[in-house]
This record gives sequence, C-alpha cells and structure tokens, in this order.
Amino acid sequence: MRPDLSIEIAGVKFSNPILTASGTCGYGEELAEVFNLSRLGGIVTKSITVLPREGHPPPRTAETEAGMLNAIGLANVGVDRFIEDKLTFLEKYNTVVVVNVAGAKLSEYVEISKRLADCPRADMVELNFSCPNVEAGMEIARDPELAEKAVGEVKKVFPRPVIAKLSPNVSDIALIARACESGGADALAVINTLVGMAVDIETFRPRLTNNTGGLSGPAIKPVALAKVNQVYNAVKIPIIGIGGIMNWVDVVEFFLCGACAVQVGTGLFVEPDAPIKIIEGLRKYLSSNKFSSVRELTGKLRKY
Amino acid sequence: MSKIVVENVKIIKKKSLGRGNFIFEMAPFSKTKSIKPGQFVHIRQPRTNLLFRRAFSVYDFDAANRTLSIIFKVFGRGTSLMAKLERGAALDVMGPLGNGFKYPSKRKTVILAAGGIGMPPLYLLAKTLLSRGYDPDRILYFYGGSSKADLVDISRIKKLGIRVYPSTDDGSYGFKGFVTDAITDNVDLTNGKHHLYGCGPEGMLKALDELALSKNLPGQLSLEAPMPCGIGICLGCIKPLRAGGYTRICREGPVYDVGEVLL
Repeated sequence: MRPDLSIEIAGVKFSNPILTASGTCGYGEELAEVFNLSRLGGIVTKSITVLPREGHPPPRTAETEAGMLNAIGLANVGVDRFIEDKLTFLEKYNTVVVVNVAGAKLSEYVEISKRLADCPRADMVELNFSCPNVEAGMEIARDPELAEKAVGEVKKVFPRPVIAKLSPNVSDIALIARACESGGADALAVINTLVGMAVDIETFRPRLTNNTGGLSGPAIKPVALAKVNQVYNAVKIPIIGIGGIMNWVDVVEFFLCGACAVQVGTGLFVEPDAPIKIIEGLRKYLSSNKFSSVRELTGKLRKY
Repeated sequence: MSKIVVENVKIIKKKSLGRGNFIFEMAPFSKTKSIKPGQFVHIRQPRTNLLFRRAFSVYDFDAANRTLSIIFKVFGRGTSLMAKLERGAALDVMGPLGNGFKYPSKRKTVILAAGGIGMPPLYLLAKTLLSRGYDPDRILYFYGGSSKADLVDISRIKKLGIRVYPSTDDGSYGFKGFVTDAITDNVDLTNGKHHLYGCGPEGMLKALDELALSKNLPGQLSLEAPMPCGIGICLGCIKPLRAGGYTRICREGPVYDVGEVLL
C-alpha cells in the first residue's frame, strides 16, 4: 500500500507535508517553470507588507560554510499588487497557499490580514515575527506579551488558520511559543534564520550592506532540530519545521523531533526541484519501514 | 515540459587555456536546442561543501550531440575546485537560464566588445548571427585583456571569419589600451549604422554604457553577479535600474539594453 503523505493543520488539508519557505520561492511564478506547484503540500509566499518594498541595497546575500547569509530586507510587491497579481496566479494550483505577513508595527499585521480575509485563496497566514533584518518584527518575536497580543489581534480579523513563525534569536523560544499558543495561533513555524555576519578581510567590510543577515542552510539544521523539539515539548499546537532541509532524511529528522510538516527554503536555491525529490524519498522511506502514514513519525524521537 | 532542466552531465573534454582559464565541454545536456546566446547554466559540483551553484555563460553548444561548453577562470573556491575536475567527472547542470541577446537588424554593423572572460557569450552570439545569415565582414569582435594571455581562445573567434580586433592594456598584443578606445579608434560611430554588444568586467561595461549613451548607439550588455539561485527566487543578484528599483540579473537579465542598469 502506498503510504499516506497527507496531513491536516487546523482543518486545512495538505496533500503532503512539504511546503516551500517564505522568502525562498517568491510568489511561485519562477518555481512553476521547474515543476508543477500542485505537487507541493503548500507554498508560503514572500513576506507581504502594506506598501511595496525594494529591500536593502546589494550585496544582500553571501555564501558561508554550509549556509548562506541574507539581508534582503523584505523586498515585496505590497499587499495590493500581491492580491491582484500574485494571488491570482496561484489560483490555478491545487496546493495550500500560506501568505507570510510582515509589518513595522502590530497594526500593519492586522491591516494586511484583514485584506487577506476576503481572499479565499489565502488559505492561511503566517506571521513573520522574526525577520532578523527588520527591527519591528524582532520586538514582537522577543516579547511574549506582544506576541500573544499580535496573534490575538490577527485572529480577530482573519477567519482561517494563523501560523506564527518564531525566531531562534531569543533566550527562551518555548516562552514565545506558549505565548503565541495562548494568543490563538493554530500552528507554529520553527525556526526563522539566525543572526550572523560574514566579513571581507580585504576591505574590512561586512559582506552584506545590512552588516548582519539571517543565516540559513544546512549549517543551522542542528539548531532548528533542537528548537523544534523544545517547542514540541512546550505546546500542543502543530509545528512546521524549518531550517536547512535539503533532502528527505532531514525531513524525517524534523518529524521525529516533533514537526508535522516542514518548509524547504535555502535548499530550493541549490535544487529548485528539491521538494519533488523529497516527496519521493519520503514515500519510499515510509513504505520500506512499513509506516502507513507520515503522521506516525511526528514526535517519535526516543530521547535519552 | 519544463523550460529549465536540472541534469547530470559529464565533462567530455577539458582544456587548459593558460593563466587559470579552462574550457569544459560537457554532455549530454538535453536542452541544447533551446539555448540562446547570452544565456547561462548554473553548475553544482558534487562532493564539495560548496552550497551554491556557480553561473557560467554558454560558450558553445552542439544540438546534435547535446554538448555544451563553458570557459571559466579560477577566481574563488568554486572555480578552484572545478579546475581540478578531469574528463569523466560528473556535474549537475541547471539551465538554460536568463534572457539572452536580442538580434540586431541585418542592416547594422555589429560591434561585439568582450573583456577577458566576458568572451564566451559574444563568441556564441557571433556564431549564431553568422548562421542566421549576417555578413561576417560586418561583425567586428573587439577582444580586450590586460595582456595577451588574457585573450583566451582568440583563435576560435578568428576561425569564424569575422573581423577580430584584439587589444591589451600593456600593448603586448594588438591595440594598446582599453576596448572602448579600440572601438572609437577603428569605427566611425557617428553614422548610426552600428549595434553594440558587450560583456566583461564591470568597469568595462560602465565605459561601454557611457560610450553607447554618448554616441546614441543602440546595444545590449551582459552583466554578472554572484547568483545563489539563478532562477529569480533568492533576490540576491540584484543591481539598481536607472529608472529606479532593482533588477534580478539572473531572471530579468543577464542581458540588458544599454542605459537600463545603473552601472
């Protein structure tokens, strides 16, 4: 029997647990030239802000050991054009659309979510409380009271499930996770990038004009696994694992630590069709290990 | 069928061109037929700890044999490791990517201006124009480098039967000076009959852009930037546009009309 890859988060059904991470797949248009987006469990869009943003000046990415630093600075088309052009483009694909929302203050998260409430194609929103390159988001990411309030305010205006994306750049991620759960979050995305720096010894300059950036890629996977497991032990709501996923083995590891779905991010830059290969690999693994459903893996870590 | 493929190809021929420059001929690449001059491939070397691919302009291809060639110069870690690969080694190739050059009117005299390792896409453009019936006497290939050794594989350009104008900064071969000076020294740009194409270091592109704008010369320039993804999803390889905002070199480019990008 073919193992069942489907999952459900807060009533939203996904054909498989593989999503593409925000900021690594635009609004889907480019990846659609590589594979059929309907094969994805879901797509998480680039962060949307109230007004369009050009982002930081170049250079805004740098390759590091087994990873990358980025400080794109939330470049995006703004909520109006997103709804008109980008969301319409995604209409034709049979995949869950998660719209990532970012703001300079709480009211902006609410404003965007309110606009998206009227767009049925926005199946879920993911609140980017944790972009390390934009200061306002970080305040919410670090302050449990503010995080709880922010989730609660968005829940009031957006009628479908809300995901809170957590930052690893905090002293106690479990505290923030519980706050988001209390605020009514339907799921948590764990983790966003880690703040890092790369330096050029010829020019004495940081390699990014923003000086620091968010570290992603295989380099952060061990951190992400630990955070997923920590959050899994702290909350009851579903966890979507993110951080350095390149292949199906990584996905199994995230599931064992407590994730019920994952997002592939930087891996797409290396292999744009990575999600497709991951889905195939995961199915084979489940099949050869006699699992009838991928859901059986979540939280099965045998800790010492 | 998808426009972009990600495939395992093998190096079938490796040739050193001196000064850390190499040619790789690779096969089989299934999308050779759809390659346009100015497009690039994004290459990953297996079994290295480099995360990202490296972008290389297509130098030449043979659609019948599904072969593809690139020229590269050892510059950083990626190209250093690549230079160590030998015939038979496998590479993961994604492509063809980018927009490629637009073809000029057949009434125009075509000026191709290459600097050093910017040579490959303009070679392929010249070859393609010839196959499309352009007059070889009206394709002028200006090829500049700091010295003679930088004019890699110039014999192959000469074999096309087009007019080749070498130049070197130190005067060791051809015209002594920059490519832009070699152009103004050899061509009367005031008659409005020319079309410019350029590829090379940013300083040269800037000079070509200024030359083209000042002489009202139409043309296109092929740009370069480190590209994490190569398909427009990472927003890393951006450059500012003159009209405002940024452009993704890998996606909207790498070829732009003169004056379009703020160099």
